[in-house]
Amino acid sequence: MKTRIDDQSKPQTMIQEKYTKRYQNLKVAEALSNNHLYPFACNELSSIIDLGYSQLPKDLKAFIFRDCLSAFRLLPDMNTSAAVSAANLLVKSVESAFPKQKKNLAIVEFKQAKVALKRRTKGHDEHIDLPSLPQDILVHIFSFLDVYSLLSSSQVSRSWNQATSEGSLWRSLFDLHFSHKVSIHIHPGFDWREAFKNEYILYKSSKMLRSGRGYCSYCDSVVWHDNLRCPKKQCRLKSGKKPLDLMLTHQVVNYLLGTTSSSDESDSEDEAVRGLWAYPTLQ
Amino acid sequence: MSESDMAIIKPEMMKSYIWLETSDGSIQQVEQEVAMFCPFICHQVLQKGAGSSKNNAISLPQKVNPAMLSLIFDYCRFHQLPGRSNKERKVYDEKFMRMDTKRLCELTSAADSLQLKPLVDLTSRALARIIEGKTPEEIREIFHLPDDLTEEEKLEPLKNTMDDPRIRLLNRLYAKKRKELKEREKLKSIEVEEHVDERSVDDLLSFINGRDHKVVNTSKSKKKNKKRKEHKNGTCKVSNKDSHNLHSKQRSVDETSSSLGGVSNLHNIEDDIFSRKAEFEDGYIDDEIDPALKEMLDREVEDFARRLNSSWVLSVGQERQPVHFSINGNGDTRRLTGPAARHK
Repeated sequence: MKTRIDDQSKPQTMIQEKYTKRYQNLKVAEALSNNHLYPFACNELSSIIDLGYSQLPKDLKAFIFRDCLSAFRLLPDMNTSAAVSAANLLVKSVESAFPKQKKNLAIVEFKQAKVALKRRTKGHDEHIDLPSLPQDILVHIFSFLDVYSLLSSSQVSRSWNQATSEGSLWRSLFDLHFSHKVSIHIHPGFDWREAFKNEYILYKSSKMLRSGRGYCSYCDSVVWHDNLRCPKKQCRLKSGKKPLDLMLTHQVVNYLLGTTSSSDESDSEDEAVRGLWAYPTLQ
Repeated sequence: MSESDMAIIKPEMMKSYIWLETSDGSIQQVEQEVAMFCPFICHQVLQKGAGSSKNNAISLPQKVNPAMLSLIFDYCRFHQLPGRSNKERKVYDEKFMRMDTKRLCELTSAADSLQLKPLVDLTSRALARIIEGKTPEEIREIFHLPDDLTEEEKLEPLKNTMDDPRIRLLNRLYAKKRKELKEREKLKSIEVEEHVDERSVDDLLSFINGRDHKVVNTSKSKKKNKKRKEHKNGTCKVSNKDSHNLHSKQRSVDETSSSLGGVSNLHNIEDDIFSRKAEFEDGYIDDEIDPALKEMLDREVEDFARRLNSSWVLSVGQERQPVHFSINGNGDTRRLTGPAARHK
């Protein structure tokens, strides 16, 4: 995988400013304080570091360093296993690419975060009885969820599982993800969940959704998509039902660095995709 | 009283109130414009003429307790004023939503029973934001929900039509067994509780076949044969508690039909376990257990647990991986392919 920064003829400061501006537009730092986006943001930072840290202009290196530190500092607040694995990946990238001094500072921050995290998870054994929510409310809540969260919810408990089987949920997800690509014949008793699953596998959605990133043509920027929509209200109004163009992480890095590297992925991902809809395999 | 005094007092006296009764029997009155913001109360007033006096108080749905009612009315009081700007309302809403999950759930239920749709939307979105991006285990922890799905239901998230309580119980026991094995791996140095739990699960499995009176005896006899020291009280409590749970289940187990169609895999495994248990049944009664039999049982249960464990863990792991593993260079992509290759 070769990366090239092709505008080395321009004066240094202009180049630096351009990259710094692009990075700021990516809004990685904001995403770090968002519970849901934190893992995506950490993964993106890891990718940026892995794919081109040494080539970054000095200013941008400073920004990346600052954001890594705040990622570790925010880790105890996140308190999900997804956040912990994302932070672990980030630390690995930091260890392999950062110069000694910065590396040590970052690792210290990370270790402190892990200690704080441990302290937090220790205090939590209250056996409160939460009121159980009626099914139609559960369905209403689930209607705001993305597909991964919905699948997680389906595995939580019996009542939640029943609520997630509601066809309207899967219908709106199907519309959101695939309606502009696929036309289908509906009949009474149509299983929207099955339809969604089939298209999902067909379009390798899991690969595209992994980055959390999309390109909005209305505001002409790379954004953190909110369930496939641009987070800006004006863009949502303009785009109507049409979802964003999803982007892979390496495409985001390319945009930042102005490079044209290709993806490093192998195609064994199809197996990972199928895992999302695993069948019981008691052999 | 002077004219000005009357002018001040009068509006207060002219304000009309609506009488409401909450589920705990307490009666209160609320300003009319605030209470009428709730469709439920509105209907009660307009269609039944209720709420005009203390005796004629509107009885509110059960899910509305006084604390939630006051929260709801705070919300209504703010929003029913037409003069508020959209931005003001939005700021208020965001501030209003800052509360712990338990209260959010209660509030959602209460608002729903009062048919206050904007508040239901608000609380639902807040709850959705809490659920977003979390694993099932984490969600269960936050909402204190029971882990009562069968392994099959978790792996294939479709509505499970097979509702045999016997199967559900069995799966719950298997899940318990798996959990214990996992804990055993973590706490290799601590040896006290392991075999106790294992024995009690085996007891329960044989229990299902209807040999309850031997449970207490067998657990005690197994204790004697263990090399490790244990607290007698602790183990007794564990097995007795489990046997109590089983007592209530046994009735339903005996009564339900034995047709287990549809869950063929589970059926076979269940049969295997049960037949083996029957064979070694007599061995349990004796005070000395043949270590060879014990070994075999251990292996068999572990094997089954491993089978369950692998397919379950893999499928959940796969599900989570796409979101959180990204292309990070050679080393990390290999991590993705590893378990994926194993899964196939």
